[in-house]
Amino acid sequence: MTHFARDVYVVGVGMHPFNNHNTKMRDLAFVSAAAALKDSRLRFFDMDAVYTGYLTGEVMDGLTYAKDLGLSGAPITHVENASATGSTAFREAVLSVAGGASEVAMAWGFDDLNNLTGVGVARTDMEGVILPAAFFALWGVRRMHDRGTTVETFAKIAAKNWNQARDNINAQRQATHEVTAEEVLASRPIAHPFTSKMAAATGGGGACAIVATKEVAQRISAETGNPMVRVAAAAMETEQYTEGHIFLGATVGPGEMTRTTARQAYEQWGFGPKDLSMVQVHDAFPIEELLYYELLDICADGEGDALVHDGATALGGRIPFSTDGGLIARGHPGGPTGLAQVHETVLQLRGQAGSRQVENARSGLVQMMGGGSVCVIHILERA
Amino acid sequence: MSDEEIDFWQGKGGAVEKGAGIAGAAEGAPRRPLEPGYIDVPEDPAAPLRLIASYSPGADSYYFPRRYRCPRTEGVVEDRLLSPVGTIYAWTYVHFASMGRVKYAESNGYGVAQVDFPEGPRVQGVLHGKMGDWEIGMPVKVVLHPVAVADDGTELCSYAFEAIPGDAK
Repeated sequence: MTHFARDVYVVGVGMHPFNNHNTKMRDLAFVSAAAALKDSRLRFFDMDAVYTGYLTGEVMDGLTYAKDLGLSGAPITHVENASATGSTAFREAVLSVAGGASEVAMAWGFDDLNNLTGVGVARTDMEGVILPAAFFALWGVRRMHDRGTTVETFAKIAAKNWNQARDNINAQRQATHEVTAEEVLASRPIAHPFTSKMAAATGGGGACAIVATKEVAQRISAETGNPMVRVAAAAMETEQYTEGHIFLGATVGPGEMTRTTARQAYEQWGFGPKDLSMVQVHDAFPIEELLYYELLDICADGEGDALVHDGATALGGRIPFSTDGGLIARGHPGGPTGLAQVHETVLQLRGQAGSRQVENARSGLVQMMGGGSVCVIHILERA
Repeated sequence: MSDEEIDFWQGKGGAVEKGAGIAGAAEGAPRRPLEPGYIDVPEDPAAPLRLIASYSPGADSYYFPRRYRCPRTEGVVEDRLLSPVGTIYAWTYVHFASMGRVKYAESNGYGVAQVDFPEGPRVQGVLHGKMGDWEIGMPVKVVLHPVAVADDGTELCSYAFEAIPGDAK
């Protein structure tokens, strides 16, 4: 049982494909919201609340782009939590419905990380000038030291995610051939031990999810024929002190945050990691996905490498991760990323994921980190 | 298909021209911290540099950079200097020829480390040297790391870590 006052369902999802084409933010926004509205068969005027998420862009972008959908008078709120922005917007929409303030609410992310200036170059201050890739690389090097993880394991995770995106029309990286671990290792070095094909594809995109009460969801399900998808858990945590805590600037943060947030989510759901059908995570670099196998309690600490080599986390495996390609291949525009995870999970739970469909998909966990300082996890299940 | 969609991770700003360090810096120019409150620079140039941390008597814990209050107890904190030497917890080498306004055109990259100090804090910063120089557990000292030049020609510095001669790999 969730801790919600009433059940919440995802009734519509939509995306603007993630790409690196310098598409206008306004277009990214409109296309994704219009797609979610069409999917739900609702009108923008049906939204009781709208939560917009973006890191780049201008003041009032959310309010401005909403005018393309309609002047409904609904409250529109901009939220921002670094990479977890879309996930946070989704959580706000869910809580708005769960708490009774809304019958229907929209979480709407649009962004282009190419517009995020100053990362690692323009700023000159005591904190924050080190490129983000370094944070994940430090995690990777330490993992190799502690557990004997090899760069080949990192490359296998990246290649898996590239290949899982090959038929995903919303993915930024749609490889035209089977990507091998060797190809990943041979790509340009970014930060030891990571190469360019291991790095999240940052670009532009839009993603939107509409949530509603059970009554609304039942009506829409009857109209569309789509199975109902319930939000079974919504958990969010910020940092708690850990040994070796790093305060300076943005970091990858304490990994333990994912474990404690996930356990909150499992408790809300009433089931555990062994009951999940699939998982989407913040795989900005493969070290993250590897560690999340363990921090989400999919396996015991130190056993993540074996999951990679056994193929357990690939499509067709015991617990597929990053089924749409993840941040590495589907892409990471910033604000929409967490909502793209919701989009993918809803398609999977409806049985509409095409060639990447997870067999008998009943439930899915979506996890995003924001600047290493906040973790947001939702669990969705087919009702 | 392209693997070049990674500006965010590797940095933007185009190609880095020849040169190293920061533009406009004169050889032997005086140095001072870019911002106060991070590094203690002794008047004696032979004395070691130390980072300025916060100590929480309530939690018996040190934090870097300094805190307004103890993040564990919400209690008061006081300034304390960390030991001048820590050990590498993790390291990496970033393959990009600039960090902030500092150029690394010759090396085409720079090291980064997380360093554990005896008092407890783990501190992240630039690691001087080249790929292959470092290993986990190696002792490193705090050094000044020029990042800008003031109008009067003074080099403004952050901190960095550097292997101690004799302890190098």
